[in-house]
Amino acid sequence: MKRFFSLFLLLLLLLCSGCSAPTVGDTGTFNEFFAMDTIMRVTVHGDAGEPAASAAREEIERLEKLLSRTLPDSQVSQLNAHAGEEDAVALEGDLISLLTFARSLSADLDDALDITIAPVMDAWGFTTDHHQIPTQAQLDALLPLVDCQALEIDPQAGTARLPNVGMAVDLGAVAKGFAAGRAESVIRAAGADSALLDLGRNITAIGVKPTGEPWRVAVQDPQDSNLYLGVLALTDQTCSTSGGYERYFEEDGVVYHHIIDPSTGYPAHSGLLSVTVVSPDALLADALSTALFVAGPERALDYWRREGGFELILCGEDGVVTATEGLEDAFAFQGEDGGYTYEIARR
Amino acid sequence: MRLPAAERRRPTLWDAAVVLAVAAAALLLFFQISPSEGNFLTATVVLDGEVIAEYDLSALTDPVSLRLDDIPYPLTIQAEPGRIRIVESSCPSQDCVHIGWVDRVGAQIICLPNRLVISLSGAAEPDFDAVSG
Repeated sequence: MKRFFSLFLLLLLLLCSGCSAPTVGDTGTFNEFFAMDTIMRVTVHGDAGEPAASAAREEIERLEKLLSRTLPDSQVSQLNAHAGEEDAVALEGDLISLLTFARSLSADLDDALDITIAPVMDAWGFTTDHHQIPTQAQLDALLPLVDCQALEIDPQAGTARLPNVGMAVDLGAVAKGFAAGRAESVIRAAGADSALLDLGRNITAIGVKPTGEPWRVAVQDPQDSNLYLGVLALTDQTCSTSGGYERYFEEDGVVYHHIIDPSTGYPAHSGLLSVTVVSPDALLADALSTALFVAGPERALDYWRREGGFELILCGEDGVVTATEGLEDAFAFQGEDGGYTYEIARR
Repeated sequence: MRLPAAERRRPTLWDAAVVLAVAAAALLLFFQISPSEGNFLTATVVLDGEVIAEYDLSALTDPVSLRLDDIPYPLTIQAEPGRIRIVESSCPSQDCVHIGWVDRVGAQIICLPNRLVISLSGAAEPDFDAVSG
C-alpha cells in the first residue's frame, strides 16, 4: 500500500512540476474592437484587468466621437463646418490641447506636419478611399488652405477658429497617439500597471509583462509583410511607425501613398521607407513618426540631436536601417533577412 | 518471512514497476508541455469578431479559395500549403490585397472596411508581443 502511495505522490509531484504553462490570469484581459478607422487591441494584466480594459475602450471610443472628421457630429467636424465664419467654435479641453500641441510641433518642424492637410487628402481621395490623382492646378488652389499656423486657438475661452473657407482639420497623424496616452492614464487610474495597447499598430507598453520582462515589439519590414526590421524591448514607452507602404494606390505603375508632404501636396518622397519613433510620450511618438517621414533622414536626425524625449529607427530607401543610440541596447536588429544593413546614429 | 523494504538489497518487481511508471509519466508530460518542433501553422479568419473559417496551412496539400459575398465588400481568400492571402477584394482601399501572402506565425491581414482579420498562429510562438508598422 505504501508503494502505491509513493507512486501516487511521485506522479502528483511530476504533474505539478509540469504545470508551468501560463495561468488564466497571465493571459490578461483582451479587448479587441474597431475605432478610428483601424483595429485596436487592449490587453491588461492583473486583478484590475477587466475594468481597466473596458475603461480604456470607452475612453478611446469617446475620443473618436470627438476627433473624427468623418463623423458629422464630432467636434472636429463642427470646427471644419464653421471654417471662414466670424465666430470661433467652442471645443472640449481635450481637443483644444491636441490642436495646440499639433500647431506647436508643426512650427518646430517647419511644417513637415500640418493638421490642416484635409483638403489635399480629400483631393487625393484618401479620406473616402476613392483614390484619384489631383491636377497641379487643383493642388495649387488647395495648398494655401494648408496652414495650421493660421488656426486660431483660445485656450482660455476654449474655442478655435479656421479663418478661411475651405480649411479643414484632419487629426489622423495624432489622434491614435492622443488616444493611447489617455487610455494609458485610464488603465493606470484603474489600478493596473501591466498592459499593452495596440491602436492600429501604434504600440504602447505599460509597465512590464507579468513575467517581469519588458514588452517585445517587432518593427515591420516596410517591403515584406512577413519580415521584421528587428524587435524592441519596451517598458513604459510607445512605439509608432509610419511608412508609405501602409496605405497606397497604384496608377500607371506609379505608387501614390497616403502620407502627404504639406509643402508640395504630393506623397512625401524623402528617402525613407519607414520611420519608427519610441517615446514615453505616446502623442509625441505618433505625431513625429508621420512628421519625420515627411522631413527625411537628415532633418529627422537633426531634430533628434536637437530635441530630447524620443528615439528613432529610420529605414532608408538605400537599404540602411539607422537606430539612434538610445535604442542600441533595446533594439535587436533582424533586418539581414530583408537585405538591410544596420547603423547606430550618435549625438 | 518478508523483510522490511529498507533491509532488502535486491530490487523487486514493484520497484521496477514504480521506476517504469514514473519514467512513462515523465515522458508523457515532456511531450505534453514541450512546444512542437513541427511547422504547424493555422490561419483563422474572423469577420466582425466571429470566427468564420480556419485553415491548417501546414496540412494543406492543394490550394483552396473562400469567396465571401455576403459582406460589405465581397472578397476572395486564397490559401496554399504554408501561406494565405486576400487575392481580390472590392473594398475601395485595397490595403488587404496589397499585403500579399503571409506565411509566418503572428502575421495578420486586415480588411478594415469589412472588419475582417486573418491571423496566423502555430507551434512556434513569435518572439514578440505586438507589431509596430
